[in-house]
Amino acid sequence: MSAPIDRSRPPRPGRVHPFDFPQTLDRSVGGLRLLAAPRRDLPLVGVRFVTFAGADHDPLSQPGLAGFTGALLEEGTQRRDATEIARTVEDAGGQLASRAGWNTTTVSYGGLAETLALGCELLAEIAIEPGFDPQETERVRSLRLGELRRRSNEPGYLASRALARALYGERTYGSPLLGTAQSLTAARADDCRRWWTAHRSRSRSTVIAVGDFDEEQLVAILERSFADLGKGSSAAAPPGTVDENPEQTVVHVVDRPNATQTELCIGQLGLPRDDPQRPALVLLNAILGGKFTSRINLNLRERHGFTYGASSHQLDRLGRGPFVVSAAVDTSAAGPATREVLFELRRIHAELVSTDELEESRSYLLGILPYTLQTLRGLAGRLDEIALYDLPLDFFDRFPERLRSVSADDVLGAARRLIQPDRLVIAAAGPADQLEPQLADLGPVTIHRGPPAAPDGHE
Amino acid sequence: MPAPPTLHRHRLENGLQTVLFERHDRPLVAVNLWYHVGSKNETRGRTGLAHLFEHMLFQGSKHVAANEHFRHVQQVGGVANGSTWYDRTNYFETLPAHQLELGLWLESDRMGFLLDALTPEKLETQRSVVMNERRQRVDNRPYGRAVERLHELLYPAEHPYSWPVIGAMDDIAAATLDDVRGFFEIHYRPSNAVLTLVGDFETGDAIESVERWFAELPSAPAPHPLRHGLPPAPEPRHEVMEDDVGLPRVYLAATVPAYGCDEWDAAHLLTSILAGGKASRLHQDLVYRRQIAQEVSTYVFPTEECATFLAVATGREGVDPVDLAAALSKAIDDAGAAPPTEAERHRALRGQLAAFYSELQTYEGLADAIGGTTTYFDQPEWLWSVPERLEAVSPAAMAEVAGAHLAADRRVSVTVVPRGTVS
Repeated sequence: MSAPIDRSRPPRPGRVHPFDFPQTLDRSVGGLRLLAAPRRDLPLVGVRFVTFAGADHDPLSQPGLAGFTGALLEEGTQRRDATEIARTVEDAGGQLASRAGWNTTTVSYGGLAETLALGCELLAEIAIEPGFDPQETERVRSLRLGELRRRSNEPGYLASRALARALYGERTYGSPLLGTAQSLTAARADDCRRWWTAHRSRSRSTVIAVGDFDEEQLVAILERSFADLGKGSSAAAPPGTVDENPEQTVVHVVDRPNATQTELCIGQLGLPRDDPQRPALVLLNAILGGKFTSRINLNLRERHGFTYGASSHQLDRLGRGPFVVSAAVDTSAAGPATREVLFELRRIHAELVSTDELEESRSYLLGILPYTLQTLRGLAGRLDEIALYDLPLDFFDRFPERLRSVSADDVLGAARRLIQPDRLVIAAAGPADQLEPQLADLGPVTIHRGPPAAPDGHE
Repeated sequence: MPAPPTLHRHRLENGLQTVLFERHDRPLVAVNLWYHVGSKNETRGRTGLAHLFEHMLFQGSKHVAANEHFRHVQQVGGVANGSTWYDRTNYFETLPAHQLELGLWLESDRMGFLLDALTPEKLETQRSVVMNERRQRVDNRPYGRAVERLHELLYPAEHPYSWPVIGAMDDIAAATLDDVRGFFEIHYRPSNAVLTLVGDFETGDAIESVERWFAELPSAPAPHPLRHGLPPAPEPRHEVMEDDVGLPRVYLAATVPAYGCDEWDAAHLLTSILAGGKASRLHQDLVYRRQIAQEVSTYVFPTEECATFLAVATGREGVDPVDLAAALSKAIDDAGAAPPTEAERHRALRGQLAAFYSELQTYEGLADAIGGTTTYFDQPEWLWSVPERLEAVSPAAMAEVAGAHLAADRRVSVTVVPRGTVS
């Protein structure tokens, strides 16, 4: 046939196919913000009602109240009980979920395109006339206590909880979304009702819609179904979170005497989502631990075989969410693996990244955008970010050009602002008798013991 | 629903099957290879090889240096991964559309030139990575060992579904370079693979590219397909094991005919009626009304020898797992005794149709589904018949499959209880 093929180097790419962030509509439906992105390749729709209050608005004495309220929302309205709602949704082939996160409470519906009106009507009914029935409240309370019990044996959860508690203490993001056994037991249906009524309002909520719908039809449905949603007043400011790392590196061990492996969670405070150097921070994370070929994974997994995978994450929240490196490692390697993570944090804090690394990560981030927008869920997630962090509508359109202008110096600058290598929290869930000697020289060690060995177990 | 799109099929002289699905709605291309080999091609005492081998396929080949596979893909903004299952191993990349050639270069190099780059050091590292993967997914995870034990009870020792895909720890530790080589030589041949491309390309050009990269790889006959089929019904055994868990959990299992049969479809739809959503029978009964369960779920595995049917209930704290097991058993007995109502069938059908379309949202989801139907049934378009097949399942068919295959004397169970509760 043709000339022999050259396998010795990667083939030359073809012509670049253009991509733009999907057209996003931003309009007001009687004072309620609507962010919508149509996509018509499959007969599916997704619609969400998002209120901008979550666990960040938990009263300090009632951790988990937002989470409890969020879970209760889908369990009945003043017109239908939980079973009737479930049947209505499932008869339509849809899925309904309500939950509170750190900064938002969301009721979401996804299903076949022809069920759009039903989905919107259910969201409105739940938002405006939730049931908070005492019997349902008892049932959900028991489920959430059970969930707390189940999590108290999950090593990854235990390590991340120990990290959050050490970073944030009693302030926002320090208590579990789920709450504690004590706070869950004390919460009343009326507390949930009051919390929801105080926060859900036309002015502090947004509807997000993605998928196969007609814009005018969607607006008409929303106008009708959300007509009775109150305008709302400005709610009390959240209690606030912390903005200083611990003064020195500290070690927290959650004892799991029978564990065959150790979950490591090493972190500190991240920088806010609206940081002006966001593109440099995103590049920094990609080079350090945000993808398979990042320094931390290549070091811990491919060079040492300590773990199945190690990664770093900026967990975005309002204010300073945690910046975390996590890995499940062979217990005998917990000390060496932690030292390698500290080595990588110090290295990226001390030296310029190489041009190759910078360009590799840059083109990864530039190329990945269309991939992350393939599903309705992925697309809706970006609209969530625009709404919550008040990003300009063209944020994702402009992000590539901002990424292109980041230099190695910018990455070093970002690393120096983000990382404080001597003010870390090192959390490890595993057998304390083997972990303490391996980690003791890194900082003062606190051991949390059970049963269950949960940092939230005895409060 | 939209009319089924056209899939283009092309077979290379060396036996490589190619399926192409041209789309122009986003600037991406999915490259997906299914090799018809999985943990079922192993033998007892030498388990975990198929999966360990999958790891070795990311360790470089003649023209691609160790760890460069991920680097090549990621530096153009792509993603790559692989997975191993009982019947097959898949490798896949999603790339910007203008990088299709890169995907073909990488996949053809490891299909044709893997052994040139294999070293004992690479195997040593990956053995250790996989042993940590096993700890993370199985040994150090609450309830992690229950499903393995369940399969041991459900299948005869010589049936390949009786051992876990990831393998036994001792077997992983004992795998040698010769094992890896032997596995490659038998199973990793063009004639034992299906290459699926979904994305923004011109079909004619893409076929030319596939020919360019793959045609020169030597042909060899595909290995003989295994046929273990549906094993005899197991001894109805029920075991209790302790673990570091806070809540008790009951697993109940039986075998049903293979993925692709009408009975499999009936069993699949039945799983939705039993535990598909909050309106399902088990959820309503155990979670909502009696409040003895924290969560319930049911599955039927899409496997080609036969399929494992699984029902799982996690109890509330303090609930006697005997009550939980009895409630699960009764729900399955009831399903065999009388057909579900038309309303239940309709609800289950709608849910599964939405789930079906939902999985086809991504190019990689589409490519993987097409690779599967081509590998198992030699028929890519089989995928588009899934909605009709689901619609064709009658209430009576669901009762029949439950009565014939899920009956009490054909079930095994494993109950996991908090440590220290078995005296």
